Amino acid sequence: MLENILNGFSAIFAIGPILGIIAGVIVGITFGAIPGISAIMAIAIILPLTFYVDPIIGITMLLAVYKSGIYGGSISAILINTPGAAASFLTAKDGHALTKAGKSGKALDISLFSSVSGEMLATLVLILVAAPISAISLQAGPIEKVFVLLFAFTVIATMAGGSISRGLLSCTLGMMFAMVGLSTITGASRFTFGVTELMSGFTFTPMLIGVLVMPEVLNVIRRRKQTQGSMTITRSSNPADNRISLKEFKAVIGTILKSSGIGTFIGALPGLGSSTAAFMAYGEARRVSKKPDEYGKGSVEGIAAAESANNAVCGSSLIPMLTLSIPGDDVAALLMGAFLIHGLTPGPMIFFEHTETIYAIFAGFLITDLFLLAIAKSGFRFFVKLASLSRYYIFPCVTIFAFTGAFTAGQNMNDILILICFTVLGYGMRLVGLNPAIFIIGFILTPYLEQNLDQAIAIVGTDYHLFFASPFAWVFILLSVFFVSSNIWMKRRRQQPQSPSSLQEAKT
Amino acid sequence: MMKTLKTTLTAIAATLSLTMAAGSALAAYPEKPIKVIVPYGAGGDSDLTTRIWADAVEDELGVPVVVINKPGGGGIVGTAFVANSRKDGYTLINAGLGNMLVSPNFSKTPYQFDSFTPVVKMTSVPLAVVVAKDSPYKTFDDFIAGAKSQKVTLGTWGASSSGAILAGIIADQAGYQPKYVHANSGSTSMVSVVGGHIDSAVSFPPIFGPHVKADRARVLVMNKELDAYKNTPTFADYGIKGSFEGWSGIFAPKGVPLEVVEKLTAATDKVMKDPKVIKKFQNMGATIDYRFGEDWVADMEVTYGVMQAAAAKK
Repeated sequence: MLENILNGFSAIFAIGPILGIIAGVIVGITFGAIPGISAIMAIAIILPLTFYVDPIIGITMLLAVYKSGIYGGSISAILINTPGAAASFLTAKDGHALTKAGKSGKALDISLFSSVSGEMLATLVLILVAAPISAISLQAGPIEKVFVLLFAFTVIATMAGGSISRGLLSCTLGMMFAMVGLSTITGASRFTFGVTELMSGFTFTPMLIGVLVMPEVLNVIRRRKQTQGSMTITRSSNPADNRISLKEFKAVIGTILKSSGIGTFIGALPGLGSSTAAFMAYGEARRVSKKPDEYGKGSVEGIAAAESANNAVCGSSLIPMLTLSIPGDDVAALLMGAFLIHGLTPGPMIFFEHTETIYAIFAGFLITDLFLLAIAKSGFRFFVKLASLSRYYIFPCVTIFAFTGAFTAGQNMNDILILICFTVLGYGMRLVGLNPAIFIIGFILTPYLEQNLDQAIAIVGTDYHLFFASPFAWVFILLSVFFVSSNIWMKRRRQQPQSPSSLQEAKT
Repeated sequence: MMKTLKTTLTAIAATLSLTMAAGSALAAYPEKPIKVIVPYGAGGDSDLTTRIWADAVEDELGVPVVVINKPGGGGIVGTAFVANSRKDGYTLINAGLGNMLVSPNFSKTPYQFDSFTPVVKMTSVPLAVVVAKDSPYKTFDDFIAGAKSQKVTLGTWGASSSGAILAGIIADQAGYQPKYVHANSGSTSMVSVVGGHIDSAVSFPPIFGPHVKADRARVLVMNKELDAYKNTPTFADYGIKGSFEGWSGIFAPKGVPLEVVEKLTAATDKVMKDPKVIKKFQNMGATIDYRFGEDWVADMEVTYGVMQAAAAKK
């Protein structure tokens, strides 16, 4: 085992693989940072290029694009509040709040450090204990996953702020929008009113940008007269505000470790998605936090939790893919395709049939993190300079990115219409005090929940007791109960003033 | 004044468009990038097949061939988009059993099989019924007997997917009624079989292959014997009639110039003989089943008829 890993490292330290990794990291960060272009698109575009090189170079390059693409989303989320993908929208909440306070450097640093730590830990788990973990992940069938997802929904309790009823309403609204279109399971078309375009439901990227990003732009336009001063984001001149001190990093290291663990676990269960992991980690971090009120308003801990969890999924989603040939999400499916085309059939045999190649790829996967750290860090100065331009320049650009981003994902004019409609909805939600972030959670988690629930119901039939027959399910039932009740209990104990804080939270 | 301006403008526009139309008819196809729409998400079989093809024919055609994923509505949205796009050969669709033969019969689609001109078929995969390694069903006869006497769960990839429809036709002929568990993808279904959450599933070799190789799943019966699965009985052995295969090809909107079809077929003809391309298709577990022309279209029409009859029964 150790020998294999060492051989892998010696294979990867050659000019070809290293250049591949560097190219992959740069492409990944760039694509990831542009709102609307996700890691999966970057990988799909690069894939045919890798046909012409050795699998060690080709696959490590794709994996580098994957890792840095997921990370790249957090840069634009922090600096200009445009989460390009679902997983980085929690980062946008806290990260952009820090940017507004002139502490963009701090936000970028913590997101990079926690992303890289999360990825590295998950990658180590992948390399060392992939096989036993994959055995556990087989235990989770549709029934078990229903309860894991119900547990993910409990994060709403921590994010709802003062008003639980408003939070639940926002979530339900999101769930309703998620149900529009052709059900992938039953094939029934729902709420489509005979419109073919609605059969695919509401496309996620334009909707995310519409609900979360564009209302910010509208807000700036509305307030342009009152707040001349804040039209440029001034960077704090105190250097301590723009980096993470060792002390601060030590304070969040516990959060990073726990969140990476959550991310690794969720990533190893196929079909739950990196946003599910980020939600769980964020909720858990807030639950145990000493400063839970900071969450959503610029919490370093919050960024650390969300980023380390969603990046840990990168490494661990390869566990079921490689050991069981089960792709956990769309990116893993695409990567599995890349492995296949390169003649490496995923499955337990891969470790015996292609020992050298696979361990070289592992080694490459691990050192990608170091390159990511170095390349991203050296780019920060440039990114920050871009973001500290006057908002008169930035917001028109954000608007253009928002529209092109919405369009490029599916090259479909309807997506532009979706963007506009949801901008109006997102702005309206802020006005009436609903929570757009919880709306998005409802929208993201519902398809997963529905797909698993449909299958679970078909399996159970009329024997409803089967729902509660598995110990795996009970773990998550109990966790959900514990999580919700401990949140309610802590809320009572804090006796926080109800209405003013909830209104404020809804508006930010 | 306004009126004359309007007439002049219309005249200019008309002349312009005429010259442009004439120009494009004269110029040799292809002269600009070709878009191939894959009506499913990136990473699936259809997507990978199309990407390998696009990458290969690019050099033959001399223009970029760009693969665009337009997923949603079980493939209907992307397919409808191509059916309504310009008939100039610059927008093509990845066609398959699901979007061309199944959906028009079993879902409400704004297009039909004859809304397209078939160009080429690239690969095919035989459908199989698979069970977990430790399943009590050793043969398909066991399975039929079991499914007749008790509740047996059978996984597919969606209630109106090609998998569910084919599984239904098979079950009808064999005389059993499985309890369907529709998942959102074929690989999800396979996980449930291997994890012991469901009893069986219909699946294709690229999906079940690794599990069979790892000795976690067994094939009971499949459409056609493959080298990799020697001595596996076929549906015909059990007296079940019909063609149960998934396939992937390229269609164009109906009414494209004949020249387009000829150029694309000629380019495909060359690359399908390239050992490198063959290797790529084999790596992903697909069998090359390169076909074009009238015989092929006639075969598809037969399958379409079978689907139509099955849909009428429902």
